[in-house]
Amino acid sequence: MTKLLEIENLSVEFDGFKAVDGVNLSVDEGKVVGIVGESGSGKSVTQLALMGLIPYPGIIKADRLMFHNSDLMALSAKKRRSITGKDVSMIFQEPMTSLNPCFTVEYQISEALKIHEGGTRQERRKRVIELLSQVGIPAPEDRLGTFPHQLSGGMSQRVMIAMAIACSPRLLIADEPTTALDVTIQAQILELIMDLQQKKNMALVLITHDMAVIAETVEDVVVMYAGQVVEKNSSDRIFTNPCHPYTEALLNALPERNINSKRLPTIPGLVPGKFDRPDGCLFHPRCKHAKKMCKEVVPKYSEKNSIGVRCHFPLINGVPQYD
Amino acid sequence: MIQFLAKRLLQIIPAFIGVTLLTFSLVHLIPGDPVELRAGERGIDPKRHAEMKAAMGLDKPLPVQYFDYITGVFKGDLGKSFVTKKPVLKEFLTLFPATMELSFCAIIFAIIFGLPAGVIAGVKRGTIFDHSVMGISLTGYSMPIFWWGLLLILFFSVQLGWTPVSGRLSALFWIDADTGFMLIDTLRSNEPGAFKSALSHLILPSIVLGTIPLAVIARMTRSSMLEVLQEDYVRTARAKGVSPSRVVMVHALRNALIPVITVIGLQIGVLLAGAILTETIFAWPGIGKWIVEAINRRDYPVVQGGILMISSLVIFVNLIVDILYGIVNPRIRHTA
Repeated sequence: MTKLLEIENLSVEFDGFKAVDGVNLSVDEGKVVGIVGESGSGKSVTQLALMGLIPYPGIIKADRLMFHNSDLMALSAKKRRSITGKDVSMIFQEPMTSLNPCFTVEYQISEALKIHEGGTRQERRKRVIELLSQVGIPAPEDRLGTFPHQLSGGMSQRVMIAMAIACSPRLLIADEPTTALDVTIQAQILELIMDLQQKKNMALVLITHDMAVIAETVEDVVVMYAGQVVEKNSSDRIFTNPCHPYTEALLNALPERNINSKRLPTIPGLVPGKFDRPDGCLFHPRCKHAKKMCKEVVPKYSEKNSIGVRCHFPLINGVPQYD
Repeated sequence: MIQFLAKRLLQIIPAFIGVTLLTFSLVHLIPGDPVELRAGERGIDPKRHAEMKAAMGLDKPLPVQYFDYITGVFKGDLGKSFVTKKPVLKEFLTLFPATMELSFCAIIFAIIFGLPAGVIAGVKRGTIFDHSVMGISLTGYSMPIFWWGLLLILFFSVQLGWTPVSGRLSALFWIDADTGFMLIDTLRSNEPGAFKSALSHLILPSIVLGTIPLAVIARMTRSSMLEVLQEDYVRTARAKGVSPSRVVMVHALRNALIPVITVIGLQIGVLLAGAILTETIFAWPGIGKWIVEAINRRDYPVVQGGILMISSLVIFVNLIVDILYGIVNPRIRHTA
């Protein structure tokens, strides 16, 4: 399978704080990759960097940022814009605020078409109607002149999805697409995204902190912590045999795994911020397996048999390998 | 949209009645008596005093006076000036085009410079441009108008001789006041050089009168722009591959304009009513000066009529602002 996206050693810095630190990520054509992690772990920032949407003081550095044989770091701003929105597109967390309140649904979807594909007004209108029916909006012809404030959250997210798939992207990034929605709508939207992914054979990066979503939908999982990738694994292996203590702790905190206990286990402490970054492994203050070495030496990210882990003593069957 | 308009038009009626009531009571609350003021220092015989009061209709009880006044207003009669004996409406209409012309040019000046300055300052936040625009607009906002006007006259008219000192037109021309708007009248007159003269007379007063609105518009646009640029939908637009200039000019500006339009509308109201200082400095024959003089003479019909006309204009401008608001902001159009 050909590699669609290759990120090597990506860092994003805001005023000296590394929101993303040495991230490696690759996505194959037509594959589904999930990114999980707590809030503030750099999941979204990684993808925003890929889209070229990092806001002002952010500085992006990477050894390699390849998308479909073009080096995104070397492209001019204009060339880069011709890729964003066309070959890579993104759905955001808050559908209600992600649509421009001043423009109609038709205007906002056809704008993407106009920029990347041109065509006449009639052609674009036809295409918009087609897209709206693809994302399951009933009576799409009547919805063209609708403004975002007249749509519910679920409907808005469907419009966002229609906008994102308008130019048939090779890669769709969904940044917690269901977080802001009702539980009943969540399943529908997720199903829609997965369905479109299959039909259009797009690659999909699904950012979430919902482990259940990962289990249902994703082939490969990347676990991020404090701006770093701490584990990369396939989704069947990660649930049965996580390699990084952080992944293990995340899974242990799932309600499904604690049906008989009165209290849910938690991971003590918080993700380190700008001023409390520890030396050594960033996770060691919260890690129950941490040793002296973890406090002093920064672990390297290593990949073996397509399993990547950033830990001095990776787990095998839940047991840390102190050798 | 039609429903929205009808609703707004209905709301005008109570505002209008409120204005008449307020101006009527305020005018009668001012101490002083028009008859005594006209008699001067030597005083007046009490019998003659009563006669004159009766002739002006001031002997009746206040509610009756108000009722007479308001029925007149609805018939389109604002009364006659105590001093000149001419109908108030006629005086107003002769003087108003001058004020309107000046206010219009001032607000155009303020928008042309204030809006782009605010947009650029917002987009280039924290740069030298941003700091200078904000500094200059703060200075402009806090400058006393009479001083700023005199300063400009001294520099541009006296030192450089670029613009005339005062008035609306050079004394070399005699133009029939068909419309009352000097720019239009001079254009239609076919007198060579007259239009240029009228324009050059307008420049300094427009700048002076437009300075505060300019500062307000620039600051408002900047802060509104800053807020809008943080919005999720601006990020969405960028994610579609929209060019940065289009992101700013279409996606951000359209939303940022909503509060700015309100401010512009309010400023137009302020300009129409508040050109008094500028009109005085530049000897501009407008309604600001007219009303101030009428207050000094206790010329009740002129004060009431003048203020009523200006208030109606402000109400009208606000109506237009609301309509524009509905056009720019679909949320308002639909919830009305």
